[in-house]
Amino acid sequence: MTRQVCRVAAWALCLVGACGLSSHAVAADNQNDRVTALEQKLDRSLKLIEQLAARVRELEAERAGTSNLTQPAQPAQPAPPARPAEAAQQAAVAQSLPQTQQRLESVEQQLTQLADANAARGGGGAGVPLHGFADAGIGNHTANEPGLQGANIGALDIFLNPQLGEHTRSLFELVFEVNSQGQVAPDLERAQIGYQFSDAATVWIGRFHTPFGYYNTAFHHGQEIATSLRRPRFLLFEDQGGVMPIHTVGAWLTGAERLADGRITYDVFVGNGQAISSGSIDPRSGGVAHGGAIYGGNLGYVFGEILNGLKVGVSAFRSNISDDEQLGRITQVDNTGVYFAYDTDRFEYLGEYYRFNDRDLTDGGPARQSNAGFLQLAWRLPLATPYVRYERAVLDQGDNFFALQSNGMSYYREALGLRFDLDPKSALKLELGRTKNTDRNIEQWTDAMLDYAIRF
Amino acid sequence: MKIWLAFLIGFVLPFLSGAGGQTAPPNNTALDRLPPNWRDDRGETLRLQALHGEPIFVTMAYTACHRVCPMTMARLTELQRDLDASGVSAEFLVVSYDPANDDPLAWRRYRTRHGLFRGNWHFLSGTPADTERLARVLGFEFWRDGEHVMHDFRIVALDGDGAQRGVIDSAHGDWRSLL
Repeated sequence: MTRQVCRVAAWALCLVGACGLSSHAVAADNQNDRVTALEQKLDRSLKLIEQLAARVRELEAERAGTSNLTQPAQPAQPAPPARPAEAAQQAAVAQSLPQTQQRLESVEQQLTQLADANAARGGGGAGVPLHGFADAGIGNHTANEPGLQGANIGALDIFLNPQLGEHTRSLFELVFEVNSQGQVAPDLERAQIGYQFSDAATVWIGRFHTPFGYYNTAFHHGQEIATSLRRPRFLLFEDQGGVMPIHTVGAWLTGAERLADGRITYDVFVGNGQAISSGSIDPRSGGVAHGGAIYGGNLGYVFGEILNGLKVGVSAFRSNISDDEQLGRITQVDNTGVYFAYDTDRFEYLGEYYRFNDRDLTDGGPARQSNAGFLQLAWRLPLATPYVRYERAVLDQGDNFFALQSNGMSYYREALGLRFDLDPKSALKLELGRTKNTDRNIEQWTDAMLDYAIRF
Repeated sequence: MKIWLAFLIGFVLPFLSGAGGQTAPPNNTALDRLPPNWRDDRGETLRLQALHGEPIFVTMAYTACHRVCPMTMARLTELQRDLDASGVSAEFLVVSYDPANDDPLAWRRYRTRHGLFRGNWHFLSGTPADTERLARVLGFEFWRDGEHVMHDFRIVALDGDGAQRGVIDSAHGDWRSLL
């Protein structure tokens, strides 16, 4: 019996010691593996401790004259005198127990420290956190295709922004949309990698939202984040019928600097000149064989104590845009804009106005002026956020830039909406809208739509 | 056999004895695992260990949030009201998700705008690494999306020993269970 106890004790101690050894040996492994391995070893060690403790209790009971702890009713038998060698071994086992306990506490502490270190690194053990947005809707027209009605899938927007180090930043937005033919179309809407020198300066390279105005960089493809059910029509994404170069593929310097009261923000960017292909703007993400470039900037001011929540700014860009109607033709698009966003706990007011002054560089014709803008007012009430929006675009149909776009006609739209935040991650939106195209194909329609938008 | 056992025990014991100074007492409460020092809205350093002995309610927020954080502040205010009614004192920690923008001045303005003047409410900012660590230890999930910080509603209660006592969030909203 005593020999068996010793064997158990020896194996237990050996394994516990191996835990200690292995806690050193795995130092070279990555921390996640170490956490997992240590957790497993800690569990095994605890079981062994329990077995040892039970065995010691049993031995002590035997020595006290009780042969079987589970049969206390049996008459006590005198314990045989322990031989000196066995007594020494039992004493060694008993002595090692508090040390083993101490060792386990140390292992537990290492485990905690490793878990914390892992947490501080951003949970790398779980890989890149997967975030995203999705929405689905129903209405007498779909949000962006007035020729369709009924239920529709909005988008599944997979959003990745892995933290790669102290200064390197990245952002990828992979969107799965259903087009008007019902086909699922994946689109890498944003793919940008940047280096953050400080809060005042980050340089991005890749495909990003062109930093004009406020709306285009504040809101993206995930509808949950925006108050309204849909973007202003002229600010729709290129493949949905928007008439602005929403995406640019190039380089972008952005940052903010605190002033005495408020904060000044700036953006400077340069990229591939867009093209008009099959009636919509192509950001030319793969590069350009010929044609021009787009460049521009944005300067904003965020108020501090006074008018807290208000941002005002100006932006401008120039893009030399080719098209697939006439080889070699370049239209120079000059755009200037002013904007404001007043966002508080009680309301959200947004307004933007853009003016185009475009020129066909091929025929040297006159500059053609167009303009577009919107005003949106939303009130954050306890139960819901009602909003109204008016948008208007007067687009010169003699301007190649608009004439060649399928959705490049003038229009106005009035909308009245209601947003219910069901919880911090989901919202139900209702919108009634009236839209009228005022040139090219003059027509008018009324929308009644519902959209259920989530983020995860 | 006995020699083998003695050798084995002799071999193992040094590793069990914690040689090398690895036997410091473990600090495993949630409070102990948090980064210890934070900058408060007065620009002073707040040591979390100094709050030992008091119940603590921890949440995360940022001053430019107008959708979720106002709801969090409203819940904290209700919680404070109930604590006052029960005669229980507690510390409230509001830790910024966005330390780059939420400096002490921004937090002071936030307190003024929202009328949150209680002395036991601490509006804190830390380094990005400390912010990340606190969020992970206490289970606050957040991620940045441009100017926005995507996050949930969550308040974590710690007892006087610093151990996590409970959580209220979108799915578990009864803060009275934490009192």
